[in-house]
Amino acid sequence: MRNRLEGVWQFAAVALLLGAVACEGPSDPMVRGAARYDQCAPCHGAKGEGKPALAAPPIGGLPRWYVEAQLDKFRIGARGAHLEDSAGLRMRTMALTLPAEREVQVVAHYVSSLPHAASAPSVSGGDSTRGKAAYAACASCHGVDGAGNPQLNAPPIAGQADWYVATQLANFKRGIRGAKPGDATGATMKAMAVGLDEQQIKDLAAWVASMPRG
Amino acid sequence: MISHAVDQVSTFAKDIDVLILLICGLVGFWFFVAEGVLFFLVFKYRAKEGGKAAYIDGTDPKHTRFISWPHRLILLCDVVIVVAAVRVWVEVKQTMPTPDQTVRVVSQQWSWSFQHPGPDNKLDTADDIKTLDELHVVAGQTVQFELVSQDVIHSFSVPVFRLKQDAIPGRVIKGWFKTTQTGSYDIQCAEICGIGHGAMVGTIVIEQPERYAEWVAGHAPVAALATPAPK
Repeated sequence: MRNRLEGVWQFAAVALLLGAVACEGPSDPMVRGAARYDQCAPCHGAKGEGKPALAAPPIGGLPRWYVEAQLDKFRIGARGAHLEDSAGLRMRTMALTLPAEREVQVVAHYVSSLPHAASAPSVSGGDSTRGKAAYAACASCHGVDGAGNPQLNAPPIAGQADWYVATQLANFKRGIRGAKPGDATGATMKAMAVGLDEQQIKDLAAWVASMPRG
Repeated sequence: MISHAVDQVSTFAKDIDVLILLICGLVGFWFFVAEGVLFFLVFKYRAKEGGKAAYIDGTDPKHTRFISWPHRLILLCDVVIVVAAVRVWVEVKQTMPTPDQTVRVVSQQWSWSFQHPGPDNKLDTADDIKTLDELHVVAGQTVQFELVSQDVIHSFSVPVFRLKQDAIPGRVIKGWFKTTQTGSYDIQCAEICGIGHGAMVGTIVIEQPERYAEWVAGHAPVAALATPAPK
């Protein structure tokens, strides 16, 4: 009798574990990431191409480590928690809907697998020749070709939408981004952007957007 | 009864609960009476061997009283509900008691932010305290809120207050509540406002005056504290 009871318990334990595994959903991170990305697509586009009208930048092809780091920052309020950053506030809430760190990883994995999409110029008044000269200061971290450097936590920026580059530089300059505890890399960018004037920001945006993404 | 599920933390929460129970009771009573009569008649006049349908033209008072009397009683219930509802509506939405404090509630996709009056207890001065996610108020005080939206329609909903007010872009909508106890309670958006609507949450922190004063002292802009407001 006791043995039979033990058998029942073992069976129940195995069934429970199997059930728990089944509840986890598909194990392939790409499938899980694609499912999670359904939440992102309304703003960032089905292929991560971005929607300027919604202030959602192109994110397709960004490296996984960078997407993860930014999602983590949004989740802890290190980014997107400034009252004047309406786009960041939206992203913060969406990042918080990811139930666990593992979901951050799978969605970042999926985003990094999407193709990089070129964006049409939308910021007027920027001079990419002047921007190229000003870019010398950025090249030490982001690379001469804008390919980024993971060792320095510098993301690839070549070919990023000009409006997004301009907005983020202005946000860094004004302390809307990079001023919260928990955003050490943002603080570096804030220090770099603080001396830029409006024209330099436009010039840099024009140059960065014109660089081909490798 | 409802307070077992959701606390009553505003002065008008109880009035609204009583109103909800009154409506549930009256409507529920007539619902069960009507369904009971329906199923009773369906059963009583079910198809039987040799049964023959009677033709009733609906003009004989002997027949119509089964409809006209319940109709009158239900109209009476309607009057009771309308009178009770209007009394609560006037108290909650049409009356503006003198506030002890005025705060601004800012809704935007998909966050709540708040502007507190700061040490001088006046809104739109240099010492205002702006917060994200958290609204701080003093227990027992009457708080007037100015509700605005930065983008689309939202709805400021505090379940424990039984308070719900739409926020309309371009309008400043005023309302009030008077808290009855301390604690932290949920604020939620009650109007579909985009994909992040379900996660658009905040917290209202109701504190004793001393704790609130400490919070104000700890969060007021430093520059504003250094230069006292002109008298």
